[in-house]
Amino acid sequence: MSVRRVAILLGKDLKYGSKSFVFIMAIVAPLLISAVLNLVFGTFFSQTAKLGLTDQGDSRLADLVSASDSVQTRTYASTDDLRAAVKAGAVDMGLIVPQRFDEEVARGSSIVLPGYLWGESLAKNRSILVATINSAVRHLAGQEVPVNIETTTLGETQSVPWNDRILPFVLMYAVLIGGSMLPASLLVTEKQKRTLSALAITPTTLADILASKALMGVLLALVMSVVIMLLNQAFGIQPGLLMIVLGMGAILASLFGLMLGSLVKDINTLFAVNKSAGILLYAPVFVYMFPQIPQWIGKVFPTYYIVQPVVEISQQGGTWSDILFEVSVLAGLIALMVGLVIFSTSRLAQSEA
Amino acid sequence: MSWQIVRALIAKDFRLFFRNRFFAFITVLALVTYIVIYFVMPRTVDETLELAVYAPVPPPILEQVGAQGLDLEFMESEEQLRDVVASGEYVAGVVFPPDLMDKLMSGEKGQLDVYFGTDTPDDVQDAIVVILEELAYLQTGQMLTVRVSAEMLGRDMVGAQIPLRDRLVPMLAVIILLMEMLGLASLISTEVTGGTVQALLVTPMTIRGLFAAKLTMGASLAFGQVVLFMAVTGGLNQQPLIIILALLLGAFMSTGIGFLVASGSKEMTTVMAWGFPALIILTVPAFGVLAPGTVSGWVKAVPSYYLVDAVHQAANFNAGWSDVWDNLLMLLGFDVLFVWLGIVVLGRKLR
Repeated sequence: MSVRRVAILLGKDLKYGSKSFVFIMAIVAPLLISAVLNLVFGTFFSQTAKLGLTDQGDSRLADLVSASDSVQTRTYASTDDLRAAVKAGAVDMGLIVPQRFDEEVARGSSIVLPGYLWGESLAKNRSILVATINSAVRHLAGQEVPVNIETTTLGETQSVPWNDRILPFVLMYAVLIGGSMLPASLLVTEKQKRTLSALAITPTTLADILASKALMGVLLALVMSVVIMLLNQAFGIQPGLLMIVLGMGAILASLFGLMLGSLVKDINTLFAVNKSAGILLYAPVFVYMFPQIPQWIGKVFPTYYIVQPVVEISQQGGTWSDILFEVSVLAGLIALMVGLVIFSTSRLAQSEA
Repeated sequence: MSWQIVRALIAKDFRLFFRNRFFAFITVLALVTYIVIYFVMPRTVDETLELAVYAPVPPPILEQVGAQGLDLEFMESEEQLRDVVASGEYVAGVVFPPDLMDKLMSGEKGQLDVYFGTDTPDDVQDAIVVILEELAYLQTGQMLTVRVSAEMLGRDMVGAQIPLRDRLVPMLAVIILLMEMLGLASLISTEVTGGTVQALLVTPMTIRGLFAAKLTMGASLAFGQVVLFMAVTGGLNQQPLIIILALLLGAFMSTGIGFLVASGSKEMTTVMAWGFPALIILTVPAFGVLAPGTVSGWVKAVPSYYLVDAVHQAANFNAGWSDVWDNLLMLLGFDVLFVWLGIVVLGRKLR
């Protein structure tokens, strides 16, 4: 296998393959799916009350309000910026905190806090904002809360936010469509256009061709999975470890794509096989979407060993020791897939010779 | 330019469009899907926090909480309260003990037990605690010397909030128009690559007639669908003339963009390659309607902003001609620009 020839073939695939429908879908679809799912389940439509503040002095009010989970706080440099933000609906309410506010509150002076209220803000958000501001002001005034409030969460299972639940699905989609469908479609197109046979009479070996297709898939899957993780702010505190797992996932997907591409005859069959295999490949993501499904069911499917380490690292702060078993299984699956690719492509080599 | 020839070409283009199974299927499927999405989304906005309350001796302050954005439902026992919270019927349940008022009046600290469901978000839990603390302050007569005086910006929509599905309508309208842009671009590029356009131009068909046919076909296909969508979803209930005019201008704009996309494409995949980025950029302004405040002022540089804003203002706020004339004028300007650019660029390719 020649590295130079692989690089030339990869360059050619990047130049011409990047115009293919699968390549475009591999880039556009995960981004669109991520955006749409975030719109529906994520923080984009978060109804948390939002407060804008312009501090004309050096008040502690902003810090006290920011410390509360009940509101999201944003600060603005000027009154004009604050007004524009309220008018656009970026915040539900905007408050202008005057100079020496904290001292006046401590002294018990009567103060009117000027501000703006967005006409479309929800009634409950207005109440939450006023209560939160009052609570912060009472804190500044040194008032003591007259009640103890004891909170209890009812139910056995811990709630998992929907944007955490859908991340595995979007990630799997990015890895599988870029990692497996792209190399498979490139290989099938070469077979259909008979360029594979043409290449067979040049010094280029089948291994060179397969390596270039696999590299293309690995690169695209890796780039898209990193983009998805960044978009979902799920990179976690172990980016190096996460990259290794994502890279291994991309390699497994790409090898699967090569096997698929070498076995099927045309694009239509490839899409049909992909649809049929889809339920098996995406099955583990349902375990994350619906925690009521027993976790062991996910472990039956190979793609679980890509998703689980990623979820462990990004959502649970996992380290090497936490994902060692899954990564070992993933490495084993890669080795097994290499064997399957060698077996399936040997038939291809015979037919193209 | 013979109108008879133009008419014949339009009829042929419609047949060709629906012969392309991909675009014909996508067109019908997308329209049905959008309508289904609209109708399955909630038709109302939940503006209040619904709490279950067990209070054998209700504190007087509870009579005032209606104005606090809370909707209280009194339970007969603490067990019932726990059951309804655990089942997710209410976001929280609050138990006010019988001796609460006695303790507060004697200067002792009272005790409140609050139950949350597992699905109650952290911010809502915190907000309920803050509101209950504030109620306790008020109950004990601890008034604040600080008062918020906020100027209302825009119409006060409390009690008349716009449901999310109605905010989604302008985005779906833009997507419908732009999907047709992709279909038209694919049709034109296939004809150019196949040489049928060049063949047409050696007949009495002029290039002006050719563009008139494509423009009419593209705009009417897009316009027909989007008006149907708006009519079915009730989007034409307010200011129908303004909305129809805005959509018509939008249809011409998408056709002009379709010409541009077709000029740089050879077949369906390159249409997708050029068309999808255009589609994504042009849908950005609709996000500002879906989630106000998420896009900044630069969004006004995107031509579809004027379509989205006009439709949103007219359909959701009953805005009249004097409110949206500037949007319509800008839209007309972009129509002229894109159609002219599309004809020039595509015309060069044909010549």
